[in-house]
Parts: sequence; structure tokens; C-alpha cells
Amino acid sequence: MLQDDDDANSSSETDSIDQNPNPNPTTSIDQSLDAIEGQLTSISLHSIPPIPQIISALPSDSHSQLQQATVAQNLEYIDTLPSDSHSQVEQVVESPGEVDMERGVVDNSVSRGQGVLWRNNSDVDVDVEGQGSPSSSGYAGGKGTSSSSSGISGSGIEEISGDDEVDRVEVVNRSASFGASVDSEWLPGKRHVNEDDASVSWRKRKKHFFILSHSGKPIYSRYGDEHRLAGFSATLQAIISFVENGGDRVKLVRAGKHQVVFLVKGPIYLVCISCTEEPHESLSEQLELLYGQMILILTKSINRCFEKNAKFDMTPLLGGTDAVFSSLIHSFSWNPATFLHAYSCLPLAYATRQAAGAILQDVAESGVLFAILMCKHKVISLVGAQKASLHPDDMLLLANFVMSSESFRTSESFSPICLPRYNPMAFLYTYVYYLDADTYLMLLTANPDAFHRLKDWRIRIEMVLLKSNVLNEAQRSMVDGGMHVEDLPVNPSPLSGSLSSHLGQPRPPLDSTDGCKTLLGGPAGLWHFIYRSIYLDQYVSSEFSSPVNTPKQQKRLFRAYQKLYTSMHDRELGPHKTQFRRDNNYVLLCWVTQDFELYAAFDPLADKVCFLL
Amino acid sequence: MGCASSLPDRTQGPGLLNNSDSSGALDPKNLKVKLVLLGDSGVGKSCIVLRFVRGQFDPSSKVTVGASFLSQTIALQDSTTVKFEIWDTAGQERYAALAPLYYRGAAIAVVVYDITNPDSFNKAQYWVKELQKHGSPDIVMALVGNKADLHEKREIQVQEGIDYAEKNGMFFIETSAKTADNINQLFEEIAKRLPRPSTSS
Repeated sequence: MLQDDDDANSSSETDSIDQNPNPNPTTSIDQSLDAIEGQLTSISLHSIPPIPQIISALPSDSHSQLQQATVAQNLEYIDTLPSDSHSQVEQVVESPGEVDMERGVVDNSVSRGQGVLWRNNSDVDVDVEGQGSPSSSGYAGGKGTSSSSSGISGSGIEEISGDDEVDRVEVVNRSASFGASVDSEWLPGKRHVNEDDASVSWRKRKKHFFILSHSGKPIYSRYGDEHRLAGFSATLQAIISFVENGGDRVKLVRAGKHQVVFLVKGPIYLVCISCTEEPHESLSEQLELLYGQMILILTKSINRCFEKNAKFDMTPLLGGTDAVFSSLIHSFSWNPATFLHAYSCLPLAYATRQAAGAILQDVAESGVLFAILMCKHKVISLVGAQKASLHPDDMLLLANFVMSSESFRTSESFSPICLPRYNPMAFLYTYVYYLDADTYLMLLTANPDAFHRLKDWRIRIEMVLLKSNVLNEAQRSMVDGGMHVEDLPVNPSPLSGSLSSHLGQPRPPLDSTDGCKTLLGGPAGLWHFIYRSIYLDQYVSSEFSSPVNTPKQQKRLFRAYQKLYTSMHDRELGPHKTQFRRDNNYVLLCWVTQDFELYAAFDPLADKVCFLL
Repeated sequence: MGCASSLPDRTQGPGLLNNSDSSGALDPKNLKVKLVLLGDSGVGKSCIVLRFVRGQFDPSSKVTVGASFLSQTIALQDSTTVKFEIWDTAGQERYAALAPLYYRGAAIAVVVYDITNPDSFNKAQYWVKELQKHGSPDIVMALVGNKADLHEKREIQVQEGIDYAEKNGMFFIETSAKTADNINQLFEEIAKRLPRPSTSS
């Protein structure tokens, strides 16, 4: 009954499982396939007539084999990566756009598995200049807009104006900016608890996140009550374990407009189902962060519970943490730190930050592992004990945890937390104290008995901060915001100095600058930028200003940056050095060197010469 | 200036969570005691503390993370003052294993349940047993039935609470953080029951 992988190519029906050496009883596979069909159909209910899509990955000793049924003009792709390998091969397959069931089988003849990625051709609209000479950057032009703008011009396909809106329903007044006004309107916490997978509204949500156990027990769902989603969780589990049984790993399923992204972390499975047109790499990183947030609350030693009892129910252990997860998921649509893996600092005068840093340094030298002073999502000062370094993702997750847990604002607290990048197995203890409505101090220690000492330190830190006026300065900085593109000098040479000081190249004089002055935004039609210092793990972004001033536009720009970041860090083709991309909304420029990354958005009508420095 | 002020504090005690009771024993007129609140999530531990310490009641539920620390001083009729250093612990299951961190060395444990929720009464009994096994041997324990204002939804009768408390040598009271009923009484009664450092010292 063994057959060559190639033979599968000739099989024309989805019953090919029967012909394959799958160790599972056929009946159970059929059942799970039925369930998968049903669920995927329901997910893509509103986008395509319900034609089932089937993914099956077949077990093989030395070959990785994929099968796929394609429906109509929609191209799905499945990406499997055998667990023993990190290598990944990407293949671009033409989408024939037929209405018939189409099957493709890709044979990997290399023995240690290679992942296979089928990709819709229209995604490849990136024009990249590999040699890093900015003046010869590629120009994508109108062609490049096809994929990025289709969702925008379509009827509300993109998740733009809010997080939990339903397709075609505009939610007004929902803040999705990543400027200073971020969380003024958004309230963390689970919504739509009464929904389940039978609810039409639930199915229409644009971005679902699920955490489940390897036995299929629900752990977390962004929408709806976990317990009512037990059946759906079991289906997700069936998909994952079905592919795992074949020695493969399912990473991505594309079903119509939806992408289903999977992440397996030992006994914990994480799944994102999204029709937001974000790159699947971004979604996968978001699942990583979601997992990290769970580890921060429970540590990775949670795996032991599953070793003792495979059917262990984890939901009680995460009781009361809905707000932590929902706030993290919300930040995926406004906080650049979630894809840049860098943190951002509150703009402060040098002396002010020195004063804060000095007192924190004293604390760190006396047994505190990390002393962090933050104002909302922005760092005022951060000091680590010798040799201890705090990963930007850990900082993001810690800040999210503290800010989304209301009880920290009530009084000083001492709470066990785990920093997944520092040590995923052990708890640290964090002393948290809000100095004012926005500014909070976190002192981290490995010593569970250190509370009173940390409390004493806090009193001392607070005195110093008050005396040196740090808290007032921080408040003022929050109000003033960061850099504004309008404040940049219109004169082109200071512009090149402020934006590209690392360039070190003489800038050719530009005569066309005069024409650019009439445009909105900053000089040369600059609307917004993000600058990330790789060495410092920090980024700085300009404040939003006209014309990127509605939450919808801000979220669109956020997504554009996110896409840009992903394409620049393409594991297969990248990392790239410069990218120039123009669509109906902006001209986007990205420039990556060893030291920094610059992302900038310009007026789409701006003269190209203006910003090719 | 800042440095100087914090150093004496640190030398007073070892700076540990469980130092409070020992340092409090120094002065018989000004007691300083460590108090820990335990109980199921949602029974109103934080509400009791905030009512006692700040006189506030916030109906929106805020889940406690880890444990919050608050302190409040009361004066008794015999002109002694008692400073309560209160550990308001999170009722969530994941913190149960870490509870010893907070109740270790505590002179007082207040175990809270919700009179409308039988599960929380069971959980209270779990905590009483846990404290009897692992708490300080001379710990003063109080059993508190909170949400007494919701009498129409009552599931645990007063007598049940009294009986259980008596059997375990605990002080019993029903409170309502919402109406402030019996909140101050709870802490005053606890203060009266504290073992006093012998006046001879």
C-alpha cells in the first residue's frame, strides 16, 4: 500500500488518504476531515460559497508531501515545516483561477524536510533593490498596489476601524492610533461573551485568536465563551494533530480571504484566523507574543500539568486574565513594538532622564534585577543588574500585563511574573507602583521575600523623582507628544540630517523641493516615519498628523508598515536593504542597514526625487 | 536625604515579608501586625480592604494580581494603636501555590467567603485547613461572610458560618463592603484578640 509521493499527484479525489500509509484509522481521519471541512466552510461563509477545502499532509519517512484542494479563484497555501528542521523552501505557484477542484502536490525530495510555501502571485509586488543604493531603488508603481489596496477599496474587508467590528459594520469612535491618544477610548476585557461558533456575528469577526491544549480543550478565545467553543477547539486540534501524525507541522492554511495560522508550543496550540490581509508571518509573530503573554502569567512549567494529565483544563488557571490578552491583541493593531521588536522611549530632556536613570541604577546595584520606570507604553528609564538584559518583547508583555490589570492602580503590589525571554521556567517577582495616573515603577527581583526592601526603594525613588521634577516632565511630554513631521525644517539639508544622519553621504541638491512644499505633512511630503535603532532595541516614531489623523487611516498605515517590515525581513529573500513602494495611499520608503531601520510614509503625489536622498 | 531616610527602615527588620509581626512586638502600645486576606476570587477581599483603608467602594470588579499591600492604623479604646499591614491576595487559582509567600509570618488571617456562593464557603474551609497546617501556630483567624447586603440571594446561613468558625476556634462576622456594614467592627474585633506582648517587657 506504500506509494511514492509522486503517485499522489495522479490521484484526483480527496479520498487519497485511503491510499496512503497513514497510521490512523481511516474512519477517524474521515471524521476529522469532515469536521475540518465544516469548520472551514463556516469560517469562510461570508466570503465564498461554501465549498470545502481540505488540507491533508501525508505521513512520510523522508518526504514531505502536501495535498491541497483549491477552490475557485482563491488560492490557498499550506506551509508545513517538519519539526526537525528550520530550513524552509518557498515556492511560488501560479494560481490558475479555475473553478474545478484543483490539486497540487509538491514533492520534497530532500530527506530532511523542507517546508513548502505556495503563494499567491499577486502577493509578490515588492520591488527590492538589493545593493542598497538608495538612488536606484526600485519602483513598484501602480502594479504594486493590487494586493495592498484591494482590501481597502473593497467593502470593509480590512480590519481598519476597530478591533471587534463585524464585516461591513463601521464602528465609529474607536481609537486605533498608535500615537499618544492610544488607549483613551479602548477598554480592555472580553467582549461578545455570548457568542459561539454558531453565531453569525462570531463567524464574521475579522480576527480570531485561540489558545487550546493538545487534547483540544479550549484555553482562550478572543471572542465568545471558551467553554462553548469546545467543539471548535476540538476541530482545530484535529487539524493540527492530523498533520502532526504525518510527521509534519501545519503552519498556514489559506481559505478564501481567511488565513488560518497555527503555532504549536509543546502541549499548547495557538491559532489565529484572520481576514485582515496581514502577512502570515506577522500573524505568526502575534501568536508568539500571545504565547509569551501566557508564559508571563504562568511560566512554561505549565507543561508539567499536561504531562501529568493530558486532559488538564487550563482555563481556571488563567481566570481573570481576559483583559491582559484582549489588550495585547488590541496592541497588534496599533503598537509598532509588536512587530518591530523594539521599545520606545518617552521624549525627555537629557537631565531629566539622567536623574531618573541614576536612582534606578542605584537600585539595580543593590539586588534588583530590573528597575523600569514607564509612562504608559513608553520607557522613561530602564536599568538592569549586571549582565541582565531585558528583551523588548518581554518589556512589551510586562507593560501590557501591568497596564491591563486594573488592580495595580489601586495600591502597591507584589506579583509573581515570568519573563519568557529571560527565563521561561521560573517566576520572578515584580513590585508595581503607580506614581501617578500614567507613570509606574516596576522593580523585578528573583527573591520572593524582597517586598519590604523594594517598597523602601520605591519610597526613595519616588522622592528623587519628585525632587527632580521627572514626573511633571513626563506628564508634559505625554501631552506634547513626540516628534511632528511638520516641525521638520523644509530646507532639504536639515531634513537629510535629521532623518538620515547615519547616511554619511553627501546629498545632491534638489531643485524640485519647492514643488513639494505645497504638500500636506512635513517636508518633501513626509507624513510619518518610524526609526528603529537595532543596537538600542529602540524605536522612535513621529506623531500622527494631517492627513493621517483618523483612527482608520492610522490603522491602515500601521498595517502598511507591518507589511513593509515583513517583506524586508523575509527569511527566504531578505533581509533587504531598501524598498520603495507606492500605492493609492502613500509612498512608502524603507531603508535597513546594520544600525537602523527607517520606515517612512510620504504623500503618494510627492515627487520621487524629493525623498530619494 | 532620600538615602538616609530609607536606611533606618531597613535596619529595623530583615526587610522580609514576614518581618512585620516581630517588629510590631517591640512596643506594646503601638502594635504593628501583618494581616493576610484569603478566599476565593470574587468574594470581595479587595473591597473589604478598600472600604477599611480608604472608605471607598468600587462596584466594578478589579481582579487582584498577585497581592496588593495596604496599611491602616486604628486606635483602640485602651489607647493602643494597631497598624495593620494588609496583604490582599489574589483569589485566582494560579496564585494558590504562592499563598504561603503572603501568609508566612502573618499574625492574622482573614478568610473571606461570599454568603451567596457555596463554592466560596468550601474554598474558605480549604484555606482554614491550609493555615492550620502551614500558618503560624498562634495565628489569629477570622471567618468573614461578605456580601451580607445580598440577603435575598443568601445560600450560606449565618449559623453555618458560626458553627464552622466555632469548631475551628475562629472569630466570625458577616460584613458588607458595599454598605460598610461591620467592616470596622471586623478589624476592631481582630485587634482586640491579638496576643499582646506581655506588659512586663
